[in-house]
Amino acid sequence: MGRRFGRSWALAHCDLEVAPGESLLVAGANGSGKTTLLRLLAGLLRPTAGSVEVFELDPRARRLACRRRLSLVSHQAFLYERLSALESLRLWARVLGRRRDDATLGELLEEVGLAARRDSPVATFSAGMRKRLSLARARLEEPDLLLLDEPFAALDVPGQRLVERWIAESLGRGVTVLLASHQLEQAAALCRRAIVLDRGQIEWHGAAADAAARFEART
Amino acid sequence: MPVARPRLSTVSGLLGVVLLLAGSYLGLFVAPPERHMGDVVRIVYVHVPSAWISMLCYTFAFGFAIASLWTRRPRWDHLTTAAVEVGIVLNVLLLVQGMLFARPTWGIWWTWADVRLVFSFLMFLLFAGVLALRAFVDDPARRGTWTAIATITAFVDVPLVYYCVRWWRSLHQMQSTPETMDAAMKLPMRINAFAVLFLAGWFIARRAELERRRQEIDEVAEPAAIPRAGSIAGTGVEA
Amino acid sequence: MSLSQGGAGVEGRAHGGRGEARGPVQGGSRGGGLVREIGAVLAKDLLLEWRGRARLLATVLFGVVALALFSFAAGADPAVLDRGAPGFLVLALLLSSTLALGESFRVEQEDSAMEGLLLLPIDPHALFYGKALGNTLFLSLLGPVLAVAAVVFYAVDAGAMALVKLVLLWVLAAAGLSAPGTLYAAMTSRARSQDVLLPLVHYPLVIPVLLASVKAIDLILNGDPMGQLGSWTALLAGFALAYWSLGGVLFPLAVEE
Repeated sequence: MGRRFGRSWALAHCDLEVAPGESLLVAGANGSGKTTLLRLLAGLLRPTAGSVEVFELDPRARRLACRRRLSLVSHQAFLYERLSALESLRLWARVLGRRRDDATLGELLEEVGLAARRDSPVATFSAGMRKRLSLARARLEEPDLLLLDEPFAALDVPGQRLVERWIAESLGRGVTVLLASHQLEQAAALCRRAIVLDRGQIEWHGAAADAAARFEART
Repeated sequence: MPVARPRLSTVSGLLGVVLLLAGSYLGLFVAPPERHMGDVVRIVYVHVPSAWISMLCYTFAFGFAIASLWTRRPRWDHLTTAAVEVGIVLNVLLLVQGMLFARPTWGIWWTWADVRLVFSFLMFLLFAGVLALRAFVDDPARRGTWTAIATITAFVDVPLVYYCVRWWRSLHQMQSTPETMDAAMKLPMRINAFAVLFLAGWFIARRAELERRRQEIDEVAEPAAIPRAGSIAGTGVEA
Repeated sequence: MSLSQGGAGVEGRAHGGRGEARGPVQGGSRGGGLVREIGAVLAKDLLLEWRGRARLLATVLFGVVALALFSFAAGADPAVLDRGAPGFLVLALLLSSTLALGESFRVEQEDSAMEGLLLLPIDPHALFYGKALGNTLFLSLLGPVLAVAAVVFYAVDAGAMALVKLVLLWVLAAAGLSAPGTLYAAMTSRARSQDVLLPLVHYPLVIPVLLASVKAIDLILNGDPMGQLGSWTALLAGFALAYWSLGGVLFPLAVEE
């Protein structure tokens, strides 16, 4: 599949298959198309060329069916500035149709380290805290497919450990994970397979363990 | 792929011109002047056809817009845009003709009391809004979707606006065109109606083609595939 | 590209491990789910509006200012002001409504919050109806407030029954304004120059609401010898019905990328 924005192709000839339960690292420099790839999979973008299938469904045609089972954590946190952390979780839980009382949501906030700020408006949150809230949302969604776009960015070390633990735990449960990241050593430890994107095309694929070396050798 | 084979639309255009000449000749020289309003009324021979065909263009646009949303093919977006534009041109002509008629007849350029005049003005505003919306969107796919949405929304409003304006002015009616028509007057009007229809068809086809070519210029082909290194042998995963 | 292999892939795993958790989401009836989602969106919007009530008050104040401006523009003749009162009121409300509509989507654009909701499996129809309801509520409240101002400014003489009718009429008009307004605000909030574009496309569309409201208010305040109020109310109702349905159909297309 490919995707064009205006006159430039953000992604082209992206020919990829991921099996359920797999873990894939998507590596590449800034602007190489990692975010575009994840957004295409999430169904936020339509491919300009080719086709996308998630759970064997077209994520655009069967939006609800696909989105029920996937979760995207990206640079944007998709937050309402004037809601508090707890209120945001309440809203998402309600939209998802999961009956979660405040105590359970409070526990979730504790897990991601936001318990102290549960009633503060999101507008006062730092980038790292917003990231943690997005993680909490993804936890709430209980997806079968986890799309992570730079999950370690903006997080301090405990936060990054949290993400690592969570990815490992999800993989253990059979969740499919696609991880786009710059922190290659960290990410490669979690994933089995990797692809390297260069200017929107897959330039290399192989074992995640080799990805870091490959990327270093190139740049 | 061209919207209409050039030959077909050219034939339509030529036919339109011929009919327009015939109808205008009849209207200007052969048909009798109207009893009360004299020669000025001859404007009705372009006025009424313009009104019919502009509404028809908007209706075509509505149909194209639905097709555009249904199939998501750019061709229908080009046609929608073209139909709206041609409809607006006819609409503007309509307004100008209405004013040209009003001036010698009642001594004023504009009156809010004339239902048809007000209605055509509102039509113009409605569909001009569609084109305005287009101008502010850069992405062609989104522009196509939004044009279609705006066209459909505007068209649904048409009957509502019509009834509104009619009831609003039901007590004070001024006719911009005579109600009773001589048979001799109907013929040139019908001929001109077809003339304008064929001309409009030609313009729509040409405009849609123009739009298609403009979009083509902006299209950039997918870059050549680069060789892919590495292999996944040994990772325990199938290709 | 594809992201699963064979039917036994992800589906199998999902049902095995977490089929129970899936129950409430998939098992619930479609109608029930939609109402729940609309409720969630509406509650969220009401909460946010309450939090941002300074902005709301500013919008109301703007309406009052607009009324004052019309009075000045119309001159000092009380007869003219009296005749024009319904028109001025509806115009002031229309101008304020544009501000409110724009605002209701500005909130969604910050941090792409609406995109986030769409990523959650929210039915886009729920998003439309939730927001349109929120906008209708706000406009409905705005009506009586400005009406009070109008009564003061224009020395309008109206009995209690008339005021009740006015309020009900205005709710209908607010519904008519909100439906296409929500649709267009969603689109224009993502285009350039929203402030110019929204009024430009919204106003011609809602002229029937404008005309019908002005006429109806005039009839309510000044008597209705020919029983025309019913027709105008029917027009408002027809407009609202048409656009609440159409908006629901078109909104999902307007917000998806």
